Amino acid sequence: MESVSFLRVIKTGALNFWRNSWLSAAATMVMTITLVIFGLLFLLFGITNYSINTIKNTVDISVYFKVGLDEQQIFKIRDAVQADPRVKEVVYISQQQAFDEFKQRHQNDPLIVQSLNELTENPLSATLNVKTYHLEDYPAVAQSLQDPQYKDFISKVNFEDNRAVIDRLSRILKFIVTFGVGLIAVFCLIAALVVFNTIRLTIYNRKEEVEIMRLVGATNWYIRGPFLTESFLYALGATVLSALLFTPIFNQVLPKIAVYVNPQLTLFHQNLFNYWYLMGILLGLSLLLAAVSTLWAIRKYLKV
Amino acid sequence: MIKFQNVLKKYDDVTALQGVNLQVRHGEFISLVGMSGAGKSTLLKLIIGEEHPDDGQVLIDDIDIATVSKTDLPYLRRKIGMVFQDIKLLPKRTAFENVAFAMEVCGHKKEKINGDVPKILDLVGLLHKRNHFPSQMSGGEKQRVAIARALAHRPVLLLADEPTGNLDEVNSDEVLELLLKINSLGTTVILATHASSLVNRIKRRVITIESGKIVREQAQGNYQL
Repeated sequence: MESVSFLRVIKTGALNFWRNSWLSAAATMVMTITLVIFGLLFLLFGITNYSINTIKNTVDISVYFKVGLDEQQIFKIRDAVQADPRVKEVVYISQQQAFDEFKQRHQNDPLIVQSLNELTENPLSATLNVKTYHLEDYPAVAQSLQDPQYKDFISKVNFEDNRAVIDRLSRILKFIVTFGVGLIAVFCLIAALVVFNTIRLTIYNRKEEVEIMRLVGATNWYIRGPFLTESFLYALGATVLSALLFTPIFNQVLPKIAVYVNPQLTLFHQNLFNYWYLMGILLGLSLLLAAVSTLWAIRKYLKV
Repeated sequence: MIKFQNVLKKYDDVTALQGVNLQVRHGEFISLVGMSGAGKSTLLKLIIGEEHPDDGQVLIDDIDIATVSKTDLPYLRRKIGMVFQDIKLLPKRTAFENVAFAMEVCGHKKEKINGDVPKILDLVGLLHKRNHFPSQMSGGEKQRVAIARALAHRPVLLLADEPTGNLDEVNSDEVLELLLKINSLGTTVILATHASSLVNRIKRRVITIESGKIVREQAQGNYQL
């Protein structure tokens, strides 16, 4: 008996969706706009966040040792730096490694290759690349390496200070979040109100039917069912439309942005976001909006 | 079957019913008479749980209606059929579909509906009009379709609230005959009306309400105001 009711509810809901096609189209469109705005803000947020993280990863301190220094001495300094609780990782690049990497990097430049071949000894120095856990610790850690006790071993301490860029990006991110949450809230409210009114009009049209249903002993869920089905169809329609609109963004726009932000990305890692993940979120959001506004609209008619 | 124990019902400051004590036994046919606004409809609404008493109790088979949860109320209503003065048929459905609707919403299978509805329409004498829309039927016929719909769940109790209020004498008689027939088949019937000619003709138990109080009870009564 239950499955018979369930099928009847779905059928009635689908029929109403079709019969009120203009109302359905309006509700679906408003919901689509809400979803698209939500999706775009979500992507914008993600891209900014990703950019910040990429730039954060480029910040490190390079410590150049004097040429010909004993490796044991370097290790001692490395261990001392490593012991600092602010330090996340220390990578040691030996003189030979630095030379090989340099050669590798410039293998296509005949002039450099020729010059390197003429060298009798390695002019590059060994280095330590130091990363800290927190951005704000970089200046202090760099400062500590310039301490007089290291004067005889270290020739140069260098770090690229990207903190200004990171600060600016963080501010943009904060703005996107604040502004975005407000915008999404407004559009969710508009969408909920439109769905609410659409369903209320449908219920009003079928007021008599609802009244008779109650009198002959239909359960409240049986009465709500068709209206819920109808609004879930708006939600599904809106998700499908948004999915279609987001397809070119995912295929064309996002990979370009990803490569622009981080040129080292390979072709296979250019998708910053999972398409289906975002569509899942949009579907969830639209179903939630539909359910809340429908149950709210029908409440009055179910008071016993 | 139904017991009212010292029931009080108020709508804001207006007292609709007070001090109502009443007992209805299985298989009875009761006429509830009184002028408009006397409290007849309120009494019926208390039985189907659409309203709750402000004081006292309404018991159906010893169950206090006020304690029935919202989820269980629909199942109670399937045991009680209701007919109204304004008939309340769905205008875009045929006689058959109107009766079938009551069975559909309760989850009956199509085969059962197709088997039962013609029998019920036959009982009210309208099988030949099964495919007619309400607009193609007379007032009496529409009311008989409404009665058929109320019977779709095989209720143990039928409540008729001024079912002949909008009907002429001939149609009223038809509806009354039908209610008596249903009663003779074992269903308890409570008929709320102010049509004295009907009540006087059937010679059954009559309960008279005035200003929310039961003022008279007669076993084989007449309509007296």
